[in-house]
Amino acid sequence: MLTVYKLALRSMRQNVKHYYLYFFALIFSMSLYFVFTSLQHDQAVQNMTHPSVDFSAGFQIAGVMLIVIVGIFTVSANGIFLRRRSREIGLYQLIGLSKGWVARYLMIENILLGLGALLAAIICGALISRLFVLILLNLLGLEGIVDISFSVPAAFKTLMVYLLIIVITSIQMMLKVYRSTLLNLFQADKRPDLTKPPKAVASAIFALLGLALIGYGYELSGHINEQLFLNAPLVLGSIVAGTYLLFRVTIRWCFYRFRKRKDGHLGLTNSLSMAPLMHHTKANANSLTLITVLSAMAITLISMAYSSYYSVEQESRRDLPYDFMFENEPQEALSFKMELEKEGINVNHHDVQAVLAMGIILDPNDESRKVEERLLWLPTEQLKQTGADLNVPLDGEAILYDAGASLAGDLDEQSKRYPTEIKLEQHGQTVMYTLRTLKERNIMNLNAPGKQLLVSEATMDKIAEQMASTPGYKKIRFDTFQVPDKEELAMASSLYNAKYVSDERLTYDFYTHYKEMLQTTGLLIFIAAFLGLVFLISTGSILYFKQMTEAEQEKQSFKTLRQLGFDVDMIMKGIIRKQAIVFLLPLSIGMLHSIFAIKAASFMIRSDITFPVSIAMAIYSVIYFVFALFTIGYYRNIVKNAMS
Amino acid sequence: MDQLNVGETVLQARNVHKTFGTKGNAQHVLKGIDLRVTRSEFVGIMGPSGSGKTTLLNVLATIDHTTDGTVLIDDADISKLSNTALSAFRRNKLGFIFQDYNLLDTLTVKENILLPISLSKMSKRKAESEFTTIADVLDIKALSHKYPHEISGGQKQRIAAGRALIHQPSIVFADEPTGALDSKSASSLLDVMEKVNQQRGVTVVMVTHDPVASSYCSRVVFLRDGKIYSELYRGDKTRHAFFNEILDVQAVLGGDHVDGL
Repeated sequence: MLTVYKLALRSMRQNVKHYYLYFFALIFSMSLYFVFTSLQHDQAVQNMTHPSVDFSAGFQIAGVMLIVIVGIFTVSANGIFLRRRSREIGLYQLIGLSKGWVARYLMIENILLGLGALLAAIICGALISRLFVLILLNLLGLEGIVDISFSVPAAFKTLMVYLLIIVITSIQMMLKVYRSTLLNLFQADKRPDLTKPPKAVASAIFALLGLALIGYGYELSGHINEQLFLNAPLVLGSIVAGTYLLFRVTIRWCFYRFRKRKDGHLGLTNSLSMAPLMHHTKANANSLTLITVLSAMAITLISMAYSSYYSVEQESRRDLPYDFMFENEPQEALSFKMELEKEGINVNHHDVQAVLAMGIILDPNDESRKVEERLLWLPTEQLKQTGADLNVPLDGEAILYDAGASLAGDLDEQSKRYPTEIKLEQHGQTVMYTLRTLKERNIMNLNAPGKQLLVSEATMDKIAEQMASTPGYKKIRFDTFQVPDKEELAMASSLYNAKYVSDERLTYDFYTHYKEMLQTTGLLIFIAAFLGLVFLISTGSILYFKQMTEAEQEKQSFKTLRQLGFDVDMIMKGIIRKQAIVFLLPLSIGMLHSIFAIKAASFMIRSDITFPVSIAMAIYSVIYFVFALFTIGYYRNIVKNAMS
Repeated sequence: MDQLNVGETVLQARNVHKTFGTKGNAQHVLKGIDLRVTRSEFVGIMGPSGSGKTTLLNVLATIDHTTDGTVLIDDADISKLSNTALSAFRRNKLGFIFQDYNLLDTLTVKENILLPISLSKMSKRKAESEFTTIADVLDIKALSHKYPHEISGGQKQRIAAGRALIHQPSIVFADEPTGALDSKSASSLLDVMEKVNQQRGVTVVMVTHDPVASSYCSRVVFLRDGKIYSELYRGDKTRHAFFNEILDVQAVLGGDHVDGL
């Protein structure tokens, strides 16, 4: 007598062979969840990092995102598997087993398989967490050995995620068993979902609407930060809806037009690519939309994280052009210099005499705006002595340097204000200076007072003369230090932080700031890379499973074609074209989406991020195509063995 | 009928043997079959279950290899052809009609029929005229843009016949073409096949267990235990008379199990 339990065990053994990729993906993401929660609860690494780096919050958010993606992945994969097993489910009922029995059988199988994945995930997670910590420390630029102990709360949380997955998939299974009729179960893969010609007018409207929605989303993403909380969901919504329409209507419409023009003379390759794609439009539209959106999110996440990690040094230099700076503290500067020299550290020291005076920068677009602010006039000739790469502006002209300019709004919008005038007032007399343009970096460290204006030394001297007795006028002596050698810079930084930092004034040194940013972005890239990998594996697997199921449904067609005299290579040509469409379409559309998303978010990074973004996208695409190769390999096997 | 072609050999099988399984557990299915099919013949192969008729068809149709003996089609020895050459041979010289139609679900009727010439160098205009001719003969013009799931079994089989004929093969192999059809659809298909055979001079080899189906043939070959048991020629007999003759042979041959009844 075969019990439910025994039958479940037997079919499980079969399924493991089929679904190894599903288990790999599940185990990978659950292990990662376990590692992330372990790190969240672990103090060892956290103690080594800068206090401003919010370690546990980072991992907590990553954990939540992991749960969401694991949820989406299991629901999609489970849906595909259930569809694939429709016939089996129907057969059990046909031989007289109750729906309750079938549901129970599927659930037992699911619970046992999930339990296996859970155990494997926790064991793998515990084993690889050390490796993860090593990678993390490397990214953060930290050295040392950290032992990470087995975390019970992390194991418990992973167990909760497992239970959540079991509950969701069990509900899905019950719905499938109780809601489908026998006829549905047996014809699950026979009926095409859309073969009727699309209604011309409606299709055209929806096809254009899809494109319009995406266009609108792209357009809006350009000024998303104007009203972030209103615009962000609007952008997301219109792009997701547009993408769905694109797959459901636009592409089908194009295929339909093409096929109609061919009037039956479709050719073998199109018969094996376009025709089956149109056959499954509805199901494909859902999964391709999901994959496009997930890919877009993953690519954006990875690209942004990698770009910020990549440009940490450049970004820090924009804010802090000098390694150390002293403001009107010549004694301290001198003693710092002597201390450095005593340690044998090679240092370039210069002093810059600047002038601080009140003035108004006029806005030609808004004449009412007349805010008097502190302006720091810096002499180009002296800055050049420190090694700065600058050109002397014309006499009477200034250039504004502001590393934080993009935080105040769109740079292109701001640049329309220039050239403009600077109005200086002294004893009722006004003098105007030309403000030529704005540059998005500093020429003096962040903590220097006032807006940084680059002028020629002669111009500065003139201003000093004119403004000498006005309120707010001040002469400032900056002592700047550059330490060319990286290792010596680290030593210098610790000397500086030991003695010359006080709570009374703002102090920044380049190295400390750089390290802090490196740790924050290092944590970001660590989390983003692994999350991205989970996104990638999930989307790749979903596509693989779908194609695998379709390949099996098409087995008879391949057999027929082989019998009619088409050989494996001819058939594979069509299949490769189909895979190219199935894999390339969501990737390229997702990539286009992410380019606009990155553009919208790029105000956070001032440096040019074309290079790091290209690298991130290239790596993503390469791993993604591995799944396409897997799929093609699976198909080839089926076509090869179709005759026997 | 094209008088010039009468008597020209299309298919010649000499001493064909087929064994399945390994040495210890070998099953000798075909035990030395000699068969000659001439141009424009309509040959039926009959026999009880297990007599080897489908195996014979597969071997003749290059879908399966012989264990021993030779098969020549249009003077080419198919056992000597490589896999690639065999594929090309099937694509250019042979047509197939299967019991369960084997149409591609994702293609329309017209796309299914045009499939065999999809890789040939035939111009679109030529292909279109071929299609029109075939579709008129088979009376399926109106179905051109329908999908297989929208049409009946009898219609599907006529589509399959169209697919088997579009590239003007030297010989068409049909494996139980009426097996899944009701008697009305079956006789309508057989009428069409007979018409194609007589008007276009297409050579047909058909395996069937149905005496009605074989009564449409010009010759019926009976198999028993892997050997040819007897042959019947229709000659000038009416179909009804030929049918009765077939029944007589079958009664002797089939003994206790005349299958398909």
